[in-house]
Amino acid sequence: MKKRTYIYRGFERFWHWSQVLLIFFLALTGFQIHGTYKIFSFEHVVRWHNIASWAFLVLIVFAIFWHFATGEWKQYIPTTKFIKAQINYYITGIFRGAPHPTHKTIYNKFNPLQRIIYLGLKLLVIPVQVITGFIYMFYIYPDNPVNLHGLNVIAIIHTIGAFSLLAFVIAHVYLTTTGDSVLSSIKAMLTGWEVVDVDEKEERQKHLQHAVDDSAAGYYHIDKDGIFVDVNEAWLNMFKCKDKDKIIGKHYSLTRDKKDLKELDELVNKVLAGDTVTGVPAKRKCVDGSTGKHILSANPIIEDGKITGMEGFILDISETEALSEHMYNAVRDSGAGYYRLDKHGNIVDVNEAWLDLYKYDSKDEVIGKHYSITRRPVEVNKLEDTFNKAMNGETLSGKLAERRCKDGSTGKHILSANPVYVGQYVVGMEGFILDIADLEKEKEL
Amino acid sequence: MLPVRKSQKKFFGLLLLFVAITTPWILGILYVTNTDNNGKDVSVKLVNYKKDTIPKVDHSKFEILQQKFDNPKQVTEACLSCHNLTHKDVMKTSHWKWTKPYVKDNGDTIQLGKKNILNNFCIGISSNEPRCTSCHIGYGWKDHGFDFSDSTGIDCLVCHDKTGTYKKFPTAAGYPVDKEKKFGKKTFYPPDYNYIAEHVGNPDRHNCGSCHFVGGGGNNVKHGDIANEMNKVTKEVDVHMGVDGANMDCVDCHKTEHHNIQGNLYSIASENTNRTTCEECHTEQPHENKILNSHTKKVACQTCHIPSYAKVSATKMYWDWSTAGKFNDDGSVMIKKDSLGNMIYHSFKGSFVWKNNVEPEYTWFNGTARHYLLGDKVDTTKALAFNTLNGSYGDSASKIFPVKVHRGRQIFDPVNDYMILPHLFGKDSTAYWKNFDWNKAAETGMKSVNLPYSGKYSFTSTEMSWPINHMVAPRNESLKCEDCHSRDSRLASLTDFYLPGRDHSKAVDYIGFALLVLAALGVTIHALLRMRK
Repeated sequence: MKKRTYIYRGFERFWHWSQVLLIFFLALTGFQIHGTYKIFSFEHVVRWHNIASWAFLVLIVFAIFWHFATGEWKQYIPTTKFIKAQINYYITGIFRGAPHPTHKTIYNKFNPLQRIIYLGLKLLVIPVQVITGFIYMFYIYPDNPVNLHGLNVIAIIHTIGAFSLLAFVIAHVYLTTTGDSVLSSIKAMLTGWEVVDVDEKEERQKHLQHAVDDSAAGYYHIDKDGIFVDVNEAWLNMFKCKDKDKIIGKHYSLTRDKKDLKELDELVNKVLAGDTVTGVPAKRKCVDGSTGKHILSANPIIEDGKITGMEGFILDISETEALSEHMYNAVRDSGAGYYRLDKHGNIVDVNEAWLDLYKYDSKDEVIGKHYSITRRPVEVNKLEDTFNKAMNGETLSGKLAERRCKDGSTGKHILSANPVYVGQYVVGMEGFILDIADLEKEKEL
Repeated sequence: MLPVRKSQKKFFGLLLLFVAITTPWILGILYVTNTDNNGKDVSVKLVNYKKDTIPKVDHSKFEILQQKFDNPKQVTEACLSCHNLTHKDVMKTSHWKWTKPYVKDNGDTIQLGKKNILNNFCIGISSNEPRCTSCHIGYGWKDHGFDFSDSTGIDCLVCHDKTGTYKKFPTAAGYPVDKEKKFGKKTFYPPDYNYIAEHVGNPDRHNCGSCHFVGGGGNNVKHGDIANEMNKVTKEVDVHMGVDGANMDCVDCHKTEHHNIQGNLYSIASENTNRTTCEECHTEQPHENKILNSHTKKVACQTCHIPSYAKVSATKMYWDWSTAGKFNDDGSVMIKKDSLGNMIYHSFKGSFVWKNNVEPEYTWFNGTARHYLLGDKVDTTKALAFNTLNGSYGDSASKIFPVKVHRGRQIFDPVNDYMILPHLFGKDSTAYWKNFDWNKAAETGMKSVNLPYSGKYSFTSTEMSWPINHMVAPRNESLKCEDCHSRDSRLASLTDFYLPGRDHSKAVDYIGFALLVLAALGVTIHALLRMRK
């Protein structure tokens, strides 16, 4: 599946293009110092080369910090998996129009060749250039401070490094043309967005992993027998449990009062039969015996064409928060507006309540239209942001929004949004909206 | 509406990226251009420099200087009657002794100097004294019998005459003439000793120049960087002595204490003592540019600041004695001159090459030198170096210095394998300039230094290195970086170190550029194959 993905972040792009300019500038000045040609005055060129080298060092320090702070350094861990396939692709496959053997995702931006080459640059060529460069700069003469018997070796290593970098640049620039179109990779490095060929399963797993790690939503995974395989911290918090081991391996029935269990049993059976459920309100039983309310999503886990389990998120809707309470009731009473968008953002389905809120008469008036018709122009970007997040696997709730009705009037509502999975695919976004005009009036009173 | 908003957002994103990337560059370029010192006026920092301001006495008031002087020795006696300890200082100096201590390769210390050294100009003074010692600060050094302990033999006037009328005669062993006498086309008159003695003072450039500008028997023959024109020179030629510039005299740098004049010239000197250096006034860190200052560890000031020497009159670069002795058909002395008036042949001396505005040769030099000593064996497979300036890249005391290398061909003894000191000047029948017989000249000359002469002579190539110290150019004419840091470097002959811009590994460059070409070729072929699909 092709998917437009935000793959290069702001600093990364700044770092990359600054590095491009610096490497070209250092090469231009460096090869004059080397004596290859004479364009500028030697005195200026030495000065410029020195200053650029300091700038490069500062950039490298920032880049190292960035790589560790974001964990992006993991992208450079070399792998031999697919490396042969990647080489074969460049040697033969590419001429036959074969597909890329590896897929770019934001969690795996580099193919195995890139990993090895970039790692080599970062750990070998650039450090060697920096170290020899600084010796070159500060080691002026013998016995200052140690006797290296001249610059000969240092300068030659520095020259070899420069040639290596230039050869890399030639190959690197050329290989940018092997993307979807000749310029797509360069465009991506400029804008950050790239349409990448997604390995859906891997992508979704990464998404889930990401969401599980970072989100406040509770994640659970049970096998087809209803036994917990995994839950995350947020889930444990919601169930007031400190020890994960008390949950893993247990049946899901311990999460419900007996009277509520039947409801969950039905849901589990439905999902294990292949259905996806979203936005189901539920009442949980915590480990300490207290209760809480949440909204639940669930989808089957399909491996090798067989359903092996079920997983999903739960979103806490605390009883102490009036809005959530309201929403909880509204959802349960189906008084809330429901919508569903496809992956392009076009409306696939809405319910009666939604049509009422937006003052439309019939579904036919909105089905197939883009979601942007539901907002005033100045508000569209907020919804676009929500949509992008949902399409990247995030679940959102309790967002305040201002809708544009059919007649041009506006109204306020609370919105929830979550990705729609079919099988393992994110195919759209769905959620509920809850009008809060009454609530506002209550407040005023 | 949406597509517009989307493209706007994209545009601002790109704009932000562009600004983030370009801002450091703009700042960098502003920094570089605003901290560039080129073209700005920079005042020259000086330390330790002051002109001598000792108040002088009026010598015209001294009665003893108003007596009738029959000869110059009487003037010296008069001087010493007041300056009654000064002769002790003078007689310790190399100006008097024409020697300095020299440590031989075997560790022995000998006295070595103009007195007993050989060169590739007029070769050696032994047996030729009356001609050579016209530049000695004494009277009467006409043979080995000269009494170096006789203080009346000191010539005070040649250095202290402020009238410009005192002249020693070129062939009179340091004496001026006692009656009008011609030398070539020049007429020498007996000095007015009273007038001169009453007008004495600190030496100025004319006094020093009367010998040092004309070393080798003519203007600018030997040094190349000091010549008669220095008496009235512009700062374009010499920033220090330029009368329109600092207008300095020799002794302003060549500081003098007890008549010991600071300064070494390594055609005869050998030790790193008593030197006059630029750093005394200019310090070792004279530039504002740190990179230039770091050069001072390995590069002498002279190297960059004296881009060429012999800027006015030409200097002698080559002297071939082997062609001497040819005469015109009528038997008269053959003299040939080039279009600029420089003598390129003389029957007495052989052939010469002169050059103007000469780019120096460069050598490592640590302030010490070795010398060829009379009797040392000669390896005729290469040019004999009469003096060798010691130094190398690895020696922390060495710096790169500019030198004038004077090359020549001169007489040697192929049986005894050493250089011959020929008897050139004299009225006797063995002097070469009388009889033009090298055998006789060699025999007499070698006898005078107690060395056997085999009876056979030949000619061999020689060279001398003269460090260049004068004719410092104005700041903007100093060498530029690329004069050395380039493939056609001035320092091409100094191969014992890696010089950025000059040096590179040919193999690395070859492989490196081949790699780039192959990479470019590879991607081109790859691209063509893809397009074919």
